[in-house]
Amino acid sequence: MASLDTGPQHHETMNFTLLNQATVPVMAPRLGKLAIAGRKAISTPHYIPLSTRGAVAHIAHDIMRDQTTISSLYVGLEDFIETLPKKAIPPIYKTPTEPHESAIHKFICMPEDTLLIMGPRRIPPIICPPTNTPNAVAILTSVGFRHMTGEEYIGAVQKLKPDIVVGLADLVVGQAPGVKRRMKMVDRTHAFTMDVTEELYGEGVAEDKRSRAAYFAPVLPLENTQQSLYLEELEDELRPYISGLALYEAASLSIVPESLGELPRLLFSAPATPQDVLREVSLGADLLTIPFMGETSDAGMALTFTFPAPSSTAEPQPLAMDLWSSTFATDTRPLIKGCQCYTCQKHHRAYINHLLSAKEMLAWTLLQLHNHHVMDLFFSGIRESIQRGTFETDVQTFERAYESKLPEKTGEGPRLRGYHLPPSGPYQPKRNPRKYGRLDDAAEKYAESTSSVATPDAGANELEEHGFAEKTTP
Amino acid sequence: MSTTSTPPTEHTSMPSALKFDIHAKCSTTKARASILRLPHGAVSLPIFMPVATQASLKGLTYDQLKQTGCMLHLNNTYHLGLKPGQAVLDKVGGAHKLQGWDRNILTDSGGFQMVSLLKLANVTEEGVRFLSPHDGSPMLLTPEHSISLQNSIGSDIIMQLDDVIATTSPDHARIEEAMERSVRWLDRCTAAHKYPERQNLFCIIQGGLDLDLRRKCCAEMVARDTPGIAIGGLSGGEAKEDFCKVVDTCTGLLPEGKPRYVMGVGYPEDLIVATALGADMFDCVWPTRTARFGNAVTPNGSLDLRHYSFADDFGPVVEGCNCACCTPRDKGGLGITRAYIHHLASKETVGAHLLTIHNVHYLLALMGSARQAIIEDRFPAFLREFFSKLYGDKSNSPEWVVGALRRVGVDLLAD
Repeated sequence: MASLDTGPQHHETMNFTLLNQATVPVMAPRLGKLAIAGRKAISTPHYIPLSTRGAVAHIAHDIMRDQTTISSLYVGLEDFIETLPKKAIPPIYKTPTEPHESAIHKFICMPEDTLLIMGPRRIPPIICPPTNTPNAVAILTSVGFRHMTGEEYIGAVQKLKPDIVVGLADLVVGQAPGVKRRMKMVDRTHAFTMDVTEELYGEGVAEDKRSRAAYFAPVLPLENTQQSLYLEELEDELRPYISGLALYEAASLSIVPESLGELPRLLFSAPATPQDVLREVSLGADLLTIPFMGETSDAGMALTFTFPAPSSTAEPQPLAMDLWSSTFATDTRPLIKGCQCYTCQKHHRAYINHLLSAKEMLAWTLLQLHNHHVMDLFFSGIRESIQRGTFETDVQTFERAYESKLPEKTGEGPRLRGYHLPPSGPYQPKRNPRKYGRLDDAAEKYAESTSSVATPDAGANELEEHGFAEKTTP
Repeated sequence: MSTTSTPPTEHTSMPSALKFDIHAKCSTTKARASILRLPHGAVSLPIFMPVATQASLKGLTYDQLKQTGCMLHLNNTYHLGLKPGQAVLDKVGGAHKLQGWDRNILTDSGGFQMVSLLKLANVTEEGVRFLSPHDGSPMLLTPEHSISLQNSIGSDIIMQLDDVIATTSPDHARIEEAMERSVRWLDRCTAAHKYPERQNLFCIIQGGLDLDLRRKCCAEMVARDTPGIAIGGLSGGEAKEDFCKVVDTCTGLLPEGKPRYVMGVGYPEDLIVATALGADMFDCVWPTRTARFGNAVTPNGSLDLRHYSFADDFGPVVEGCNCACCTPRDKGGLGITRAYIHHLASKETVGAHLLTIHNVHYLLALMGSARQAIIEDRFPAFLREFFSKLYGDKSNSPEWVVGALRRVGVDLLAD
């Protein structure tokens, strides 16, 4: 069992221990434990739940506390720093705190023992039309696009005191960068990392002013050779300041320099399936972000897989069930037989199906609870499998047991927000179906009869079938 | 099918699935504190009932709703009749089983929704004729349909189908016709009601703003001896003075020993005044709807937390409020701040959920403290305190409040 402090004196608050490093080669699944003083420890590999404006989508704080095991969160700073018309300073910076408190915990009203990881942008990020500049990255706030400078980010870390901070990187979202751009990415990220670590932890900062946030340095989604200078600097000069690595694609797991091998690896690769997640774990990912969890819930689907997979399946099983399907209308079974999640303990498929078709918000809450529970079990299954030394064969069984893709979405999800989709340009369809037509007289009259009273989507025959009223002969 | 009103004397007492006990009566006003025992548990009155229109209280889980203290909520028959529909309700075993709620449910008749569709609807003796808004075919909703659906829903309290017209209608003859028809329809509902031993059918007093019609309706309805009585046709934009006169007149004529439900009332001041006038039960979508728009109900009125002034207000939504949202973390609550609600309002469903918890809890707690004041016979003092918090100096009290409370012996303007 190898254990070592991942940083020098001023990072003593975070400790990452690899539990099986001595027994496995590099680029293999790893078991570990990430501990930060005063926060709940995380056994790795694990997923980090994603937040939107500081909350897990559709899960209110009391439900999170009472019905989930969520103990860590990823927050994107861009969710908090829209400048309001009459106030220059974003309110989060005015959060009143005691010296030992973290402003970000307090602003989003999370328990103190929640481990908060802050990065500059939401995960997954929206493509910003403005491009990054040598000293700033483009971000999307709720009032529009703007740039956030390195200086602003440093200030945010100092004021908000997240437990882990993901370093600023010059990333290109949504397209592959060209040759010149790749060089710029490395140069800029290199410069950002030098500046930010110097300002947060450097010799020039008085000891009591040094940030206690653990710094996860970005590894760019590029080939080893393209960023070798930067990686060498991380191994060498910047090493004392670095407590972990932030990776943006699974391939980066194979280029982590050996001397940085003991650092925890946080992956922002947006896997599309649990099979992708398994592949990333097999390459040595420790902490993973999984946007498909929330997307599945929004699509009205419940995840149905387990790891290791049940051995006796002839046909590949679906990874999720689509609760929009009318086959569930009177199905009073839980989503999954025997599932211990809140949703399966308290409700049945027929209710979720009803909530979805009635567009009630509770549908997404209940699906989120189930899907988080499924992923909790998935990851604890992964850890046990690594422990047993059967991970590789378990992955093969899983790949045979399940379909290779999540089912296609059939129903409408919750209202789409700016952060779900890039802004629609000319000639693009609207993000959301039109709900009101104030200036259009005909539409107004129609809306009057449909909006305050949910008007049937059904024709007269269906109404009659539902027993609501009977058809008369005109 | 009977289309004529039978004389009230011929009615036999209807079986009842409830027990109603008055615990205390205010010695000054007409307010009562009581317990209503329903098939799914006892409910303390006076009460505010939140509205879970489509078998879900706007994003809250039923454990969150229970935490607010809710014992009785509403489902809308019209909506459940469309989704999931009667066949599904029958198969699943009713609305309690559908939504996983083991406390009480009240359903309306589906008729009120017709008011909003009145441009498309036409009320005849047989029922409400309307054009399907979707494909334009003519449809008919009868009292028998409404009761059959409510029987399938299995709600603890069901409402008769009534002939609802706007209280502000100038057509007196039509109002009278609607009142009389509502009485006839009650008889049809009673006849169609399959489970009187486990579902309580409430009649609905109609008669617009005409107090004589209301008196006549009270006499007819009371003679039919339903387990509970609703005062309907209000909250349709009439003057508050008129609203109070109707409630006051009706409660004066209704038997002591039955619960009285004023439909569609939800503003805190309306609840408190109507309680003083002797009503026991209220429902409204306002507290939950306004929460979704970022408005918090507080003792000082409703606050739009989307306003900039709350962006850096790090206090609780209401200081001292015992809801999960406002209670500080060190006392087992969530310690949610106004600033954080501002940050979420209209942007995240979680913001709506948190504020819905607060608003529902606030109104339930308000009725709870009114009840306590009635039991301790200090309700007039409670009224003074409540209105001074809401309006500040007593000279700011609206005339309708002052007038209504004078009718029951409380002068807010007195020293």
